[in-house]
Amino acid sequence: MTADAGISMKQGTVSAAAEAPNADSPVPIAEIRPSRGLLDLELDAVWRYRGLLGVLIGRDIKVLYRQAALGAAWAIIQPVFAVAIFTIVFGNFARMPSDGIPYPVFAFAAVLPWTYFAESLRRAGTSLVTEAELVRKVYFPRLVIPLAAVTAPLVDLLLASVVFFALLFWYDIGLTWRIFGLIPLVLVTGLLSLAVALWLAPINVRFRDIKHTLPFLIQVWMYASPIIYPLSLIPLEWRWLYSLNPMVGVIEGFRWAVFAKGNVNLMAMGVSGAVILLLIVGGLIFFKRMERSFADLI
Amino acid sequence: MSDIAIHASGLGKLYQRGSRSSQHDSFRDLLKDAAARLIRVKDQGHAAKHAFWALQDASFDIARGENVGIIGLNGAGKSTLLKILSRITTPTTGSARIVGRMGALLEVGTGFHQELTGRENIFLYGSILGMSRGEVSRKFDAIVEFSEIANFIDTPVKRYSSGMYVRLAFAVAAHLDPDILLLDEVLAVGDFTFQRKCLAFARQLEQKGATILFVSHNMFSIKSMCERVIYLRRGQVVFDGATDEGLKLYENDNRLANAPWFHQEAGSPRVEITDVELIGDDGERKSLFDFGERMTVRVGYNASQSVEAPNFLISIVRSDDVLCCNFSSAADGIVLPKIEGQGQIEMQMPALKLVADMYTVLIVVRERSFSRIVCAQTGATFHMRHPVFEANAFGVFHESGEWRLTGAVPTERSEA
Repeated sequence: MTADAGISMKQGTVSAAAEAPNADSPVPIAEIRPSRGLLDLELDAVWRYRGLLGVLIGRDIKVLYRQAALGAAWAIIQPVFAVAIFTIVFGNFARMPSDGIPYPVFAFAAVLPWTYFAESLRRAGTSLVTEAELVRKVYFPRLVIPLAAVTAPLVDLLLASVVFFALLFWYDIGLTWRIFGLIPLVLVTGLLSLAVALWLAPINVRFRDIKHTLPFLIQVWMYASPIIYPLSLIPLEWRWLYSLNPMVGVIEGFRWAVFAKGNVNLMAMGVSGAVILLLIVGGLIFFKRMERSFADLI
Repeated sequence: MSDIAIHASGLGKLYQRGSRSSQHDSFRDLLKDAAARLIRVKDQGHAAKHAFWALQDASFDIARGENVGIIGLNGAGKSTLLKILSRITTPTTGSARIVGRMGALLEVGTGFHQELTGRENIFLYGSILGMSRGEVSRKFDAIVEFSEIANFIDTPVKRYSSGMYVRLAFAVAAHLDPDILLLDEVLAVGDFTFQRKCLAFARQLEQKGATILFVSHNMFSIKSMCERVIYLRRGQVVFDGATDEGLKLYENDNRLANAPWFHQEAGSPRVEITDVELIGDDGERKSLFDFGERMTVRVGYNASQSVEAPNFLISIVRSDDVLCCNFSSAADGIVLPKIEGQGQIEMQMPALKLVADMYTVLIVVRERSFSRIVCAQTGATFHMRHPVFEANAFGVFHESGEWRLTGAVPTERSEA
């Protein structure tokens, strides 16, 4: 008993198995009892609470733009400044290679998914604590909270994309059908930040250190991703290791979809995909196990 | 379909006390803790000492349409029970089955967002409470009307007064329309009128056949709403049955208990109140008084050490925790001699003009007129009776005034 000081509660799980009405009894029945096992993720409960998910996303978007004086402009200012600085420092001073693509668009194609990833991870990672009041006083599947947190920043991404496409037009870069590849890529980015947040958010409930660790983690992660430099800079024999970072596959995919250059880096994408899958399945199980104690610890 | 709304069997919840205080702390503390544990090898009693059952082996059935009050002192497990039933937290042991749509109001207005307007918050709060968007839309006009703040519905709630805020939140909650409603002390917030509105809402639900589980410290509302109470003491169900009987047990347990804010100072003399009797005009001990009756309070005490110039204070506290009046021997110019050992003090009040409600007598003893408090205990409970003067309309007390009207009075035209 003394050994597991990290987890302080002994609990079971709450399962709301049969809330969906059926023909015989229109009355919802909820069963409350200890755990049903490791793989009982109750994703159906999340589906039943999709209305709440929608409302929370809507709230986040509204609040985001209402509180700031510049409102929606921030969604554009942030990536544009990042790209401008990268272009001056790395493109002009350091003469960083960019696979023959003008440096500003080369960087922007990576900053676009990166900004979304960083922002959604930052929000989702601390989301449970941000919503502590709800967690303590109202029941709903807690998975809804990080889900809403990774979805809301999509609006920022959309706004920044407008500037990006204007820049592409300026550099006279023609688009091909590959551009539709961006849609699944954005989805994968969201899944990745959700996957990481599923691990970090529950830990943050117990140890508030995550709040301080997260900006640092995001910064290190940025340099470990081909944002300011091309993937081609990484020695071939080390690429498999480098590709363990799922953002490598995502960013390379973005550049492939926009600039229509080279082939899809299948290895990078495959490794990234496998890592994301592992993170998300493990994350769901971890989150579900920790979920029982949120209300007691938060 | 069964007529049981809630079936609970053996519900229990184990907390680790130590972790409660260190829960938000940093990773550093965990390391420190682990290091400390390495040094204190095999401190087996440690974990057991810090674990405690907030709720233990609670089993009961609640029929559809039944109103049940859950009573007990702070920390008796009332809120833990509601949190388990509302699925906010999970039980360590046992299980429960809930048949019907459940609404839990553990706090009014949880999830309101300051930046959003009243309109947006209605939708937000509605879905947090479990209503669908369509349902909120349908009930929207009714909610706004109920809240009485139609003019401010498009104003961000951060500009609301606290009264408006609570009214809006409650208006949404009142339209939840659940089969089973869990209420945790929500009636204790807001002003008196608002509390009455809450009670009216609960009664209206009751008429619709809803099942209500109601946690409160307010025995008056428990009495008026519930025919059955579950009394929890230190996590265990000690009584489950008729309200009157349960309340009697509870009052007996809590009579002469220390006031929750009182902490005995180290080294100060100990005075214990051993008995509090309320006596009517006729010299009989009773708990129901008529408006205008003179009450005598007889207090028995036991001072383990001598108390210099004691000052006895007898306060009357209304069921909603409003301190109505305070009698003090020192303020009345009475200089009492030093007391020690057992004794009795008696005070006859002037005619009581308090409005109809339930009141508790609080006894405080101070040393040397108004310096340190040596005793603070809750005493007996009594009801005031009056057909008209109720707290919601007549405030704390009622006295007759002398009325004079000046100004032109139209002359009566006789039509004879």
